[in-house]
Amino acid sequence: MIGKSPRWVPITAWVLSIIWVVPLVGIVVTSIRPEGDTLLGWWRLDHVELTLNAWFEVWGKYKLGEAFIVTLEMAGIGTLGTMVLTPAAAYAFQFLRFPFRRTLLIIIINAFVLPAQVIVIPLFTLWRQMGLIDNILSVLIPYVGLSFAWSVFLVKNFLEDFPHELVEASRIDGCGPIASFFYVVLPNSLSPIFAVGILQFLFCWNSLLIPLLFMRTQLPLPVVFAQISGMYDANWDMRAVAAIVTTIVPLIVFLVFQRQFAGGSLASSGSKE
Amino acid sequence: MSQVALVTRGSDDGEFSRAKGNGRELTPLRRWFADAPAASLLLLPVLVLFAFAVVYPLVQTIILSFWDIRGLAKPKFYGLGNFITLAQDANFRQAVVTTILWTACTTALSVGAGWAIALLCSLSPRRTLIPRVMIFAAFGVSEAVTGYVWLQMYRGDGAGLVNAVLSLLGLGGLAHAWLGDSNTAVWCLIIAYSWAQTGLPLLVIFAATQAVPRNILEAAYVDGAMPMSMMRHIVAPLSMPGVRVAVFINLLGSLRAFDTIYVLTGGGPARATETIGFFMFRESFTQFKLGYGAAATLVLLAAVLIVSIPAIIQRTRNTR
Repeated sequence: MIGKSPRWVPITAWVLSIIWVVPLVGIVVTSIRPEGDTLLGWWRLDHVELTLNAWFEVWGKYKLGEAFIVTLEMAGIGTLGTMVLTPAAAYAFQFLRFPFRRTLLIIIINAFVLPAQVIVIPLFTLWRQMGLIDNILSVLIPYVGLSFAWSVFLVKNFLEDFPHELVEASRIDGCGPIASFFYVVLPNSLSPIFAVGILQFLFCWNSLLIPLLFMRTQLPLPVVFAQISGMYDANWDMRAVAAIVTTIVPLIVFLVFQRQFAGGSLASSGSKE
Repeated sequence: MSQVALVTRGSDDGEFSRAKGNGRELTPLRRWFADAPAASLLLLPVLVLFAFAVVYPLVQTIILSFWDIRGLAKPKFYGLGNFITLAQDANFRQAVVTTILWTACTTALSVGAGWAIALLCSLSPRRTLIPRVMIFAAFGVSEAVTGYVWLQMYRGDGAGLVNAVLSLLGLGGLAHAWLGDSNTAVWCLIIAYSWAQTGLPLLVIFAATQAVPRNILEAAYVDGAMPMSMMRHIVAPLSMPGVRVAVFINLLGSLRAFDTIYVLTGGGPARATETIGFFMFRESFTQFKLGYGAAATLVLLAAVLIVSIPAIIQRTRNTR
């Protein structure tokens, strides 16, 4: 804004942000105080003692370590799968001619409105028939398959502004359609691919419904966490640790890359012109 | 989260891209099938996975909704029976009411709060960076963890901050076990979810306010406009595209919400906080009535399609 802004503006913003910060601070504080001290509220200061007991004990009590590895594996493969397959599809839709190109594209990019609830019932039956229940493929296929609805759209949008002369030149110089993808388009589209990777990583890491239904033994963090956060359980301190362990990785990724995140949605919200 | 990137690109630049061409005019002799072998190689994995994860389940959900399937018993054809049962099921009607209330209120609250804060922050973008990031951070917390964060806030045993704040304000008489009361549980959920979602409208609308051309603001400033009137007559109206995008994303998100409900109330007490997206889970996977759950899912899908018609039309029209 132009001109001098009134002093109350930042002060009000700071005061309002307390509403968003305090609940999260509550979790962190609960995790480092002895449980007895927080029975009357984590904010009470009548007896201040900090302890990391919950942080050490939680690993034995809940299977968080194992779940962390499982989550890393699922989110890692799910993200890589999308990052590898999406650019090829977006390139084909943008630069190649083949029958039903536009129809296929319209079907794929409009599928982004579908909630996961719409696909889980038939997949559950299908995975049961194929014996894939509790197999990591049973979550990876929907993770990657669902992602194309938005990832192809995002990368293809980027390619619409890609200098077509470059592609044409490579074709004239003797590249086939696939070679011109690998040598010309792919090396120059890393930023949207990276953006797709961040979004997909957050989606996979935080997924609850899909692994809750399809996995039995190798459970990712959100599923394990949802099981231990049942309403009438005690151990508020250890569950607070579990909450932090569950969300720390996606939260850091989210905050570190928020510039890309914001830039992406800024460019895409039509304010580019 | 993934919707962010997706919806937002409205592509008003259609003319521009078309004028520039997408390479096709340059090679008029190229045949329709010219690239088909290469295209099928590049697209095959995507199409196979998409068919597995989206097309087959979608079609199959529609088919299943006409069948009566309970546990491992032999499925029998049921016609519209599932839908008739749904219409008569008091729990489902409750879920529809909850879904409408939930979707409308969470969207209104989170977009309203995000919009207000975005306009406020646009008065002083630099000095409000940290508050903005702090509000935005809540959006980056896993939805399941959001549920737990608020589980702790709503604790009824004296260690819940909500009750403590109420008694601090002299309203201690209102304190109770918020989640155990079916009248308040749904509002608890709405507040928790809106709290988590506010960061997104804030981001999108704040970005829209920052994209207001400087020369308009400069002209207003030269003409003697005060910050508040610039806000009211220039920035607020010009942030409307951002608001529309935020409303749509939040509507979609609320309709598909599952994680926060699962952790915070589990649909209870007495199924008072079940949305359709949660109802289908319960019927299909705890009662194992797969056909019945599929029918409920189609109702959810219908709701999703109704709110996304404009977006789908726009996308389809802009697809080249």
